[in-house]
Parts: sequence; structure tokens; C-alpha cells
Amino acid sequence: MIKLLVRHKRFLLTAVFLLAVFLVYALNLRNKEHANPVERGVMTLTAPIAEGGTAVTGAVGTIWSDYIDLLEVRQENVKLRKTVQRLNERIVAGNEAVMANARLKALLDLKGTLNTPSLAVSVIGEDSSAWFKTLVVDRGSSDGLTEGMPVLAAGGVVGRLVKVAPNSSRVLLLTDHASAIAALVQRSRARGVVRGAGGGRCSMEFTVKEDDVKVGDAVVSSGIGGVFPKGLPIGEVTMVKKGEYGVFQTIEVRPAVNIANLEEMLVLFRQPNE
Amino acid sequence: MIPFFKTTAWLVAAILLQMTLLPKYLLDPFQPNLLLILVVYLGLKLPHRFSALAALSLGVIQDSFSGIYLGLHALTYLCIYTLLSQLADRLYTDNRALFVLVVFLATLLGALLNLVLLVIFSVSNGLYASLLPALIPQALVNALIASLAFHIPVPVREEAR
Repeated sequence: MIKLLVRHKRFLLTAVFLLAVFLVYALNLRNKEHANPVERGVMTLTAPIAEGGTAVTGAVGTIWSDYIDLLEVRQENVKLRKTVQRLNERIVAGNEAVMANARLKALLDLKGTLNTPSLAVSVIGEDSSAWFKTLVVDRGSSDGLTEGMPVLAAGGVVGRLVKVAPNSSRVLLLTDHASAIAALVQRSRARGVVRGAGGGRCSMEFTVKEDDVKVGDAVVSSGIGGVFPKGLPIGEVTMVKKGEYGVFQTIEVRPAVNIANLEEMLVLFRQPNE
Repeated sequence: MIPFFKTTAWLVAAILLQMTLLPKYLLDPFQPNLLLILVVYLGLKLPHRFSALAALSLGVIQDSFSGIYLGLHALTYLCIYTLLSQLADRLYTDNRALFVLVVFLATLLGALLNLVLLVIFSVSNGLYASLLPALIPQALVNALIASLAFHIPVPVREEAR
């Protein structure tokens, strides 16, 4: 027996190693809503690096666009090259400040309409996979954030926090396959659950065929479950299909928020079933 | 010690690119998976004692900022590394075309492993609609990056098999 084990030692060790990793995966399936020490540790270590990387990327992008403007100025007026360069740098900086101001003003207006305390967060990283939809933001448990808190943008619902480390957190977007938000159609009050379908799309499920739903209807959060306050915009119905058989109708929803261009968001200090 | 720091620098650069720069400027299926390319490189060309642990670590790091299931990419990358390390003896690993082809196939295998694990063990619906259309573009982009990265000098001395 021992000789058999020694002879196949390498194969057995490989199999045990694979089994151990599989068990880690299986045991963590239930824990998908909370960050364990390993994830917290990695997120803590990588958050400052990601913030630095984002800052460097922004600086390089600004320098590159300044260079393109400089070329255009050189072509138009050689004599005033230095003056125009200085003025263009000020214009670019001013435009950036104006756009940031507009975004933050919209966020502040949103904050003013909410009765719940909230915290503004910025995106510092994105999911690198084509089939998971999460964002990394620059605030964490040291700022009072916990898993399950809803995340909003000026246009509506973005998602909720799923993994929280001391100085960074991950946001599960509403377009991710694991996302589910209790919703209702604003016009007819038909209820359902908005689930992510990938590719920037969502679907509204468990809406019975008898309910009145039309293309163009606004979909808002129903407040059921206590995660999202009632009445927050989620999206707009883009397709409705009622099959001959089955209890539910098929509804596609386009999110109200432009997920691809998110930079600043609000996290509500609100726990589920609050 | 210096080769270790060089390897760590390459790894940090790959993680930073994948988290910040690439998602900002490239559409979803056309973002290369640099960590998977590193895993294939470890399996084929660096049969170091700790390469299996390195492949596992790369998977854990990817799970920490991609998806919500810890262990998914770790298991996938470990399976890919184990398979490649067993086959590497039979392959001419200095061949650039082979490396590119293996990266292409490893991307497909990794995505299919992810799909199987998610379909069987999670409650996410409609994964097919997201994963399958992105499969070929992602594999092609990974192969392209692998062909460009093939000539990057190896910071660690390769052990003789």
C-alpha cells in the first residue's frame, strides 16, 4: 500500500491540491456577498496601486490631448504658439473642472432628494472580465461602508456593494448576472425582479402575463427587501414578449444609468430590511 | 533576488493594466487577459517549483477584482497550469506559433471551465448569452498579445527539464 502511494506520489499530490482548491471555491460559493480575509488583504494591497495607476493614466491622457491641441495651434499661428499653448492648457483644465462640476452637481442634487445619509465614491478600477460586471471604488469599511449598501448615480440605480475592504470596495452592477433588484413598472405598478443579462442589458422577470407593460415604460425600484429605497429609476422597457404558454412575460430593460461612463457615484448608508 | 523583483514588477504592471487602463479604452470582449497569458507562460516555459503556487496566486488576485466568486479563476488557472506543465515535455516550447496557439486554446478552455463551474454551482442566469459571444474575440486578442509579448526577455532562468 505504501509502495503504491510512493509510486504515484506526484499524481496523488496534484489531485489533492486540485481538490483542496475546489473545496475552497465550493466553500466560498455561499460567501459571495462578503469579503473574506484573503480578498480584503488583496484589495487593501491593490487599492493604492490602482488609485495611483488611474491618476497616472489621467495625467498621460491630459498631456497627450494637450500635445494634439498644440499641433493644431502650431498650424494656425506660429508666432502665438506659446501663448496659445498656455491658453489651451487653461481651457482644457477649465473644461475638465466644468465637466467634473456638472457631474458632482448632479450627484449633489440627487443626494439632496434622498432622506438617507450617503457618501460619494469614485471609480478606481473595473472588472477585467467580459462576463462579470463589477467596479472598484475608492472608499471602504473605514468610511463606514458595508456589504449590501445600494449605489446610485445621478441617473438612477447602479448596483450594490458586495465586497468591502478597509479602503476600497467592489460594486456589483445591475447588469451583472448575479444582480437582482425588486422593481415595478411606474405606470401600471406591475411587479417583477430586474436581473442583469450582461452586455449592458437587464431583464425584468417574474412579471405575470396579465400585467400591463409597454415599451417605453419606466421601471423603478419597488423597495421590497429594503435594499433600495422605493421609486429610484432603474431603466426603461425596450422589449415586451408574451408567449402563448407560460405564466410570465419576457421583458427587456435598458438601464437608466450609462454604466460605461461612470466616474462618481453615491453609496446610501442603508442596510437591507432597514 | 533581482529576477524576483523583475518578475513582481511585470506582474504588478499586468494587474494595473488589466484593472485601470484596458477597461477604460477597450470594449469588453477585446480586453486581453494578461494574467492568463502569464499562467500559460509559467506552464510552458517556467517549470519552477513554485509555478503552481504562482498560477494559483494569479487566480486569487483575479478573483479579488473580477467577479464575486473567490476560487473560480484560481481553480481554472490551476487546472490550465497543471495541464500545460504535464504536456510541456512533449512540446517545442520555444516555438512562437505554438505559444500563441496554446494561449488561444487556454483562453477557450478557461472560459469553458468558468462556464461549467458557474452553471453548476451558482444561480446566475443567462451566462451563455454573455460568455459565448465574447469567447472567440477574447481568445483572438489574447493570442495577439501573446505573439507580441513572446520576445520579452525572461527575468527568471529556465530550469532544464
